[in-house]
Amino acid sequence: MVKYFVKRFLIMLAALFLIALITFVIMHAVPGSPFTTDKKVSPEIEAALEAKYHLDDPLPVQFIDYVKGLLHGDFGPSYKYTGKTVNDFIYNGFPVSAKLGGITILFVLLTAIPMGIVAAIKNGKWQDMTVMAVATIGVTIPSFVIASLLIYVFAYRLNWLPTFGLDSWKGYVLPVIALGGYSMSYLARLMRSSLLEVMGQDYIRTARAKGLSETKVILKHAMRNALIPIVTVLGPTVAGLLTGSFVIEKIFAIPGLGVHFVNSVSQRDYTTIMGVTIFYATFLLAMVFLVDVFYCLIDPRIKFE
Amino acid sequence: MENERKNTEALNLICEDPWGALPESRQEREKIAGRNRSFFSDVWFRFRRKPTALAGLAVILILLIFALFGPYFTKYSYSDQNLDLVNIPPYLSVFEAEDGSCYFYITQSLKVVVVNKDGTLGRQLTRLREDEKQKMIFFDYNGEEIAIFYGMQPYVIANPVARTVMPRAKVWNRSYVLGTDTLGRDILTRLMYGTRVSLLVAFIAVIVNMVIGIVYGGISGYAGGAVDNIMMRIVDIISTIPLTLYVILIMVLLGSGLHSIIIAIGTVYWVDMARVVRGQVLTLKEQEFVVASKTIGSPTKTILTQHLIPNAMGPILVTVTMLIPSAIFMEAFLGYLGIGLQPPLASLGTMCNDATENLKSCPHQLFIPALVICLIMFAFNFVGDGLRDALDPKLKK
Repeated sequence: MVKYFVKRFLIMLAALFLIALITFVIMHAVPGSPFTTDKKVSPEIEAALEAKYHLDDPLPVQFIDYVKGLLHGDFGPSYKYTGKTVNDFIYNGFPVSAKLGGITILFVLLTAIPMGIVAAIKNGKWQDMTVMAVATIGVTIPSFVIASLLIYVFAYRLNWLPTFGLDSWKGYVLPVIALGGYSMSYLARLMRSSLLEVMGQDYIRTARAKGLSETKVILKHAMRNALIPIVTVLGPTVAGLLTGSFVIEKIFAIPGLGVHFVNSVSQRDYTTIMGVTIFYATFLLAMVFLVDVFYCLIDPRIKFE
Repeated sequence: MENERKNTEALNLICEDPWGALPESRQEREKIAGRNRSFFSDVWFRFRRKPTALAGLAVILILLIFALFGPYFTKYSYSDQNLDLVNIPPYLSVFEAEDGSCYFYITQSLKVVVVNKDGTLGRQLTRLREDEKQKMIFFDYNGEEIAIFYGMQPYVIANPVARTVMPRAKVWNRSYVLGTDTLGRDILTRLMYGTRVSLLVAFIAVIVNMVIGIVYGGISGYAGGAVDNIMMRIVDIISTIPLTLYVILIMVLLGSGLHSIIIAIGTVYWVDMARVVRGQVLTLKEQEFVVASKTIGSPTKTILTQHLIPNAMGPILVTVTMLIPSAIFMEAFLGYLGIGLQPPLASLGTMCNDATENLKSCPHQLFIPALVICLIMFAFNFVGDGLRDALDPKLKK
């Protein structure tokens, strides 16, 4: 088992290095210096600027410096906002995004699992049909459409909820639903199919034959195994929620990391793009890795090569 | 006729001597009595039993026709602007002129547009003056004065002399069936071009993915051993990279535009396909027909292209139909973030993005393209589901 984790960890490190390399190469392949602006800058000033940010070093040296900085948790300065570093953006933006993401994951788990259970127990009845219809809609409709629809109905028409701001719990309702809609639907479908599969197995019949109540059979015996696939996809789900938040943060004007990323892309703030990409990627890979470890720990049947 | 004749012949033979041997005939020995069904007719037979899948297929065909031939039937181009007629909805609430000859429509910028009786939009009336005391803006209509009265919500058109509100009415917009956007462009025409772009992105992405994925997966699976190990580790690493981030990075590098979207989607989305193909090839290459082919000295290329890939076609097709929605989604997502196509080109995502600013006053601008995106997504998902069941009946529970 340890060997398996070490292997996974090494792949993760390799992936991170590759991400840093690709990001670095792409950002330096973009034509134009980061200081190319509408105003004409004299060559001396440009040279001075490049010297200040060590842009006159050969590329491999720059890359090594950059990676050294990364290892110390230093993502470098922002080229567009003088005096700001990429770390500032991350410190300011990430807690906001993380809070929204955390609430969304909680919301997703608290809705998707009961929905899936109901659909599986009432297989083929109207409850099942309803859950599956909602889940199909949630999987197919893009999050920005859901978000706009929610804003239009609940904020503009009914005036119940604000369209932006996270000051009160009300501000969280719409972003959380819009952000979690896809994952909720996906997990509900997964929960349903996995519970249905487990319910057909012999040990469930045994549990019933012992005379256990149906609640006990489902919650104590079936759920334990049925939850395993859910845990497996939690890692990718977290990843999806985080990248999905680009759009949601933009729509609801939430000052999170996603908005910084999108803004830095449209403003071509290269160091910020690089830094935030690498930060995101590290975070996502770490989450996926942790979920994998957790998954292996809760299911002793899993064998490792 | 032919069959009947054969049947009677066979019957005669049996009747002559019910227990005797039939005359030996080499041609008929392996004949299958039922109608011969090819692989595709077999798939089609199972596919058409699923109403959702058929509906999805129909929707895709309709959208294809809409996107390909629609632009030939509209009067406008996707970039024609008419700044006199911006943000006009498809369903107008208007006021009827007192002589009953036409309607008046108040635009959002407080101008008055003449709407003909048949619902087509006419000219804009010239503004004469504003009277703040009376809360009226006066316009000239064929020498007579009419006024927008803004003392009540929503604003109404009144006769300033008689001080009466003109009778209200509702008409469908016949000039711009789906209304216009913030620059006065016809939404229907832009929708056709947007659908075209979305479908184009999807199909090209699919072709690129199929080629790269099949070649990569095929080689990896067939070669096996160290080659397979290295190639699959590369795939492992690529698949851990969050793809959305990379599509965005590639867009930054290549600049906005259709070609960059296609390249961006094409370069990162082949990983799943490579895995599927490799898995298929790994199991198939041990089978007898491949061994037989090797024995008669077929080169690797022939074995791969003639034997392995055709047999793996089922899972490949399913992966492709599942990939189309995600490619379309990615294009819409990029467009929505503002790093997709450059204006005035239209894609469904950029149309949604343009429309968010005035969602409150003109929801139709957002909901029409959003509806088309949803339709495409539904259609491809249903077709994908149907195809999976049809290609692999074993999977069906």
